[in-house]
Amino acid sequence: MDTSGSERIDMNRRLRNALKGLTAPDLKRRRRAMEPFVRATFEMFIRYLYRYLGNEIECEDVLEDVYADIWENPDHLRNVTTEKQLLRTVYLYYMRKRLREVYRRINRNLYLSQQSLMNLVAPESGVLEMLSQSELQQALHRTLSKLKARERRAIELWMEGASNRAIANELKTTVGAVKMLEFRTILKLKKMLHATADEV
Amino acid sequence: MSYINREIQELLVDYAEALRDGSIPVFLKSLTRVEAKTITTSSEFWDATEIVQFLNGAGFADKAVTPNVGLFISRVDAEITSRLKQATPAASSLRDKTAGTKQTSYRHKTSD
Repeated sequence: MDTSGSERIDMNRRLRNALKGLTAPDLKRRRRAMEPFVRATFEMFIRYLYRYLGNEIECEDVLEDVYADIWENPDHLRNVTTEKQLLRTVYLYYMRKRLREVYRRINRNLYLSQQSLMNLVAPESGVLEMLSQSELQQALHRTLSKLKARERRAIELWMEGASNRAIANELKTTVGAVKMLEFRTILKLKKMLHATADEV
Repeated sequence: MSYINREIQELLVDYAEALRDGSIPVFLKSLTRVEAKTITTSSEFWDATEIVQFLNGAGFADKAVTPNVGLFISRVDAEITSRLKQATPAASSLRDKTAGTKQTSYRHKTSD
């Protein structure tokens, strides 16, 4: 029995119903719809935020405000019909605003301009941003296989959580050379991933 | 991150490491004036950050320990209650003005 398919349909129906309740004019109905909405979207949203923050605690704090903002003003979600569209809308209208505020306070005494900080933490959404988690994995798998063995190994080790020193030891080179290799490989990955994302 | 005026590739790798380890504030605080300027003017850095964030999503987002959804829902509910409370005084004072001296009490649902 294919349970994954039925789960997907069930989840979509739940999400659709929650969205319907969430965009109702009645505040109490919106509040009731919040629980199924959070249940249906929590994993998707928190993993998405993790890309920019890399920290579960900060992701939770941002997401709490994002959901409250959605409850307060759900107008942007009125015409959403697909999960992808939902993620894009939530990112553009709710998440970005909150992401911009995360490090704003600590940046007051730093040298980075607010604009650069915004670009770093809450960038404009590009092609890659709109890929789902499974699409991301597929695109990455395909792209990594096209890299040279040394480049692929460096990225794989980095993604396993290895330090630059450990990667340098594994590749029998210096930390400086590893940093340069990673930098070049990342730029190479960008070109390749954009080509792959266009195909998806 | 103890070097002074790191090259752009070092800055990117340090940013990637900070993002992976969830310590972006440490990276931001480590930037010198020159490094901040280098970052701002380098198109390669901005090109590469998109991929670093993508790799973070593909490599580590699944490993992130997410909280219990039930507990998180109560946090969201509490936040909504708090916003309602903030909005209530303005609304009640408006009501008092229009309806004389009528007193209204509000009970807010709290969840555990």
